[in-house]
Amino acid sequence: MKLTERQRDALSELINIAFARTGAALSDLTGHRVLLSPPAVAVYQTGELRDALAKFVPGDVASIHQVFAGPVAGDALLLLNYEGAVMLTDLLTDEHKPSNYLDESAREVLTEVGNILLNACLGMFGNLLKVHVTFSVPRLHLETLDELLASITTDKTKLHYALVVYTAFQIRDSSVKGFLVIVLSVDSLDRLIQEVDAWEAQQSG
Amino acid sequence: MPGRRSRAGEFCDDANHAKPLRAETILMSATSTKQTLLNAAVLHWMHDLAAQGIVTTDSDLNVVEWNHWMEEHTGKRASDVIGNNLFELFPELTERRLDQNYKSALEGQIRLLSQALHGYLIAMPAVSGEYGYPQMLQAVRISPLSHEGRIIGTLTIIEDVTERVAREAELQAQIEERSRLLLSEKLARNEAERANRLKDEFLATISHELRNPLNAILGWTHMMQLGKLNDANMERAVETIYRNAKSQSQLIADLLDVSRIISGKLRLEARTVDLINIINAAIDSIRPAADAKGIRLQTMLDPAASSIWGDADRLQQIVWNLLTNAVKFTPQGGRIQVTLQCIDSQVEIVVTDSGVGISKEFLPYVFDRFRQADASTTRKHGGLGLGLSIVRQLVDLHGGSVSVHSEGEGKGATFSILLPVVGVISNENEAEYVHSAPADAIISFEGLPSLQGLKVLVVDDEADTRELIGEVLRECGSEVIISRSAAEALVALEEQKPDILISDLAMPDEDGYTLISKIRALPSERGGQIPAAALTAYARAEDRMRVLRSGFQFHLPKPVDSAELVTVVASLAGRAYERS
Repeated sequence: MKLTERQRDALSELINIAFARTGAALSDLTGHRVLLSPPAVAVYQTGELRDALAKFVPGDVASIHQVFAGPVAGDALLLLNYEGAVMLTDLLTDEHKPSNYLDESAREVLTEVGNILLNACLGMFGNLLKVHVTFSVPRLHLETLDELLASITTDKTKLHYALVVYTAFQIRDSSVKGFLVIVLSVDSLDRLIQEVDAWEAQQSG
Repeated sequence: MPGRRSRAGEFCDDANHAKPLRAETILMSATSTKQTLLNAAVLHWMHDLAAQGIVTTDSDLNVVEWNHWMEEHTGKRASDVIGNNLFELFPELTERRLDQNYKSALEGQIRLLSQALHGYLIAMPAVSGEYGYPQMLQAVRISPLSHEGRIIGTLTIIEDVTERVAREAELQAQIEERSRLLLSEKLARNEAERANRLKDEFLATISHELRNPLNAILGWTHMMQLGKLNDANMERAVETIYRNAKSQSQLIADLLDVSRIISGKLRLEARTVDLINIINAAIDSIRPAADAKGIRLQTMLDPAASSIWGDADRLQQIVWNLLTNAVKFTPQGGRIQVTLQCIDSQVEIVVTDSGVGISKEFLPYVFDRFRQADASTTRKHGGLGLGLSIVRQLVDLHGGSVSVHSEGEGKGATFSILLPVVGVISNENEAEYVHSAPADAIISFEGLPSLQGLKVLVVDDEADTRELIGEVLRECGSEVIISRSAAEALVALEEQKPDILISDLAMPDEDGYTLISKIRALPSERGGQIPAAALTAYARAEDRMRVLRSGFQFHLPKPVDSAELVTVVASLAGRAYERS
């Protein structure tokens, strides 16, 4: 399943609106100007995810994982490479000296930031689809990309798609790049794309 | 299921649960008695036993549950809280915009508040003050509570993370301390390695510099022993040996100066001194070397800048070092200019040469110890590279400053010394006697005071020194009595009635101090008042003080300069101005 140009633009625009709110929330929270760069959106089959993400995360990947359920269900993840994760927490928490590991407080911050970001994105979907989506508690994991992918593609019998949103946090002249990955069943993705089409038609009409 | 993530909420870790857990599953769907009992137990745990704060509200955010932990830590009783609006109870939540999180929860989102970004949700005093946090640091989770797809309230779980944060900070401090130690250790090692390299270079230089004159001395003395030298060559041999020994003596003096400076033992013997005399003496001593290279020496000395407070010997050493340096680095037919002038409350001595100059790269290191621009074995210019370092140290000790300027290689160099004019006391009696400085040529005995008719008693346990001093004094016309020990000297004193005593200080059995105190105890008719000079390798200021206190009139540092020796003897005999 591929997105058309228009669908991709519409989805990017929707996520961009959600991100703008999220950036503002993070700015408020940290007292620093936080910008989320305009997202780039792509759709992959879960089997193709590895190749799509491998370049970005060669080593350990920090993921904030939330499961969502309701009429649209799936897994939502924020992926950062390890260095990016450390840098992001340093930037957000005003650490004067750059550290090179994630302590418990840093993990808490990452989880909170992931939670805000994923909720903004999924909340936007919920509003768009006019459905109520519930969330699991977000969890932070540090593991290799393969381990991560294995844990989100357990049900091999069903075809799943992943909506991959590439973004970057701009904080205090530094940039931390990350991915939002939203794994959806075919049904859920179909429904989402239909709603995106409808929204797009409404905007242009 | 290995690798499978938990999809559970707070109360259940059932990995097979396809949907996120809803609190009401536990709270409201109980049917069986067993489950009712279990639910009652869970409620009891939540209310009384949980080690976290648990707060539930309805969809209007009125408090429904306020557990024991919350009562204990906020001091607010459940009965006072339940039924009231959370934001009315804690207006701070709205002020800090934390109410947004509850709004999100009512929209179905879970919200986490980390202590790093928020600190706390509801202000509570820290349980233990030992970590130095006045307020409890909290990690908070705010979740929606829903029933049949409808959100009916919120659940807030508050965890005390003060201790954990303190431990982390401690750990972080330890890591930083360790890496700081590691870094400082690394810096120290680099510094040590650098110093070691400098020392190695210096040792290579010093062994070369000390060996060079020694080779000449050994070579020529060997030829003399063989007796194969005719008169002309003999003269040349002696002249060469003398010159080389002189240069070695200077090297050692430099080294000793440096070690004294390093150990902080260098003391100035400051008096009012006449800079013009000092500069002229230094120029006189350098003139033979300059003449030999056809270098013109020009002076412009302002008499108004003459008197300052300082150590005459050291000031002369400063000027002499600068001049030696200038002569060394100025080629045949060059020019060296020395100026002395008064600038405000300072005097400035400037030595300018038309020599090889100094490259920009080396300029900052000119005054460093053991540094030479060219440390290679094929370098053209000898020396230890100590002279200028000594200059700086000595100028520092005088409270002055020294600077160097050069337009670059081949363009000459200018050394400027600024000395403060402080506390100059004009006292004619203190007019400073300036040593005749070390010179490169053999000192001529012409022009020295005559010692004719004087009887000098020389006491030294070292035969070579005895012979040398005896020879010099005889050359100037005095009669010399030699003693090998203090005991011998006392006998000679009474029997031969010498006019002057020259005594070594370090001797076996009785030393020079004992000797002079015994002599000074004698009545004057038995020689108790004999004018005496001490001869010693202990050349420090405190040694000199001790010498003078113990009864000697003069202190002659070893190695003895012939001219100085003769001058001292003459002056002890009151003949300083008689010429032979």
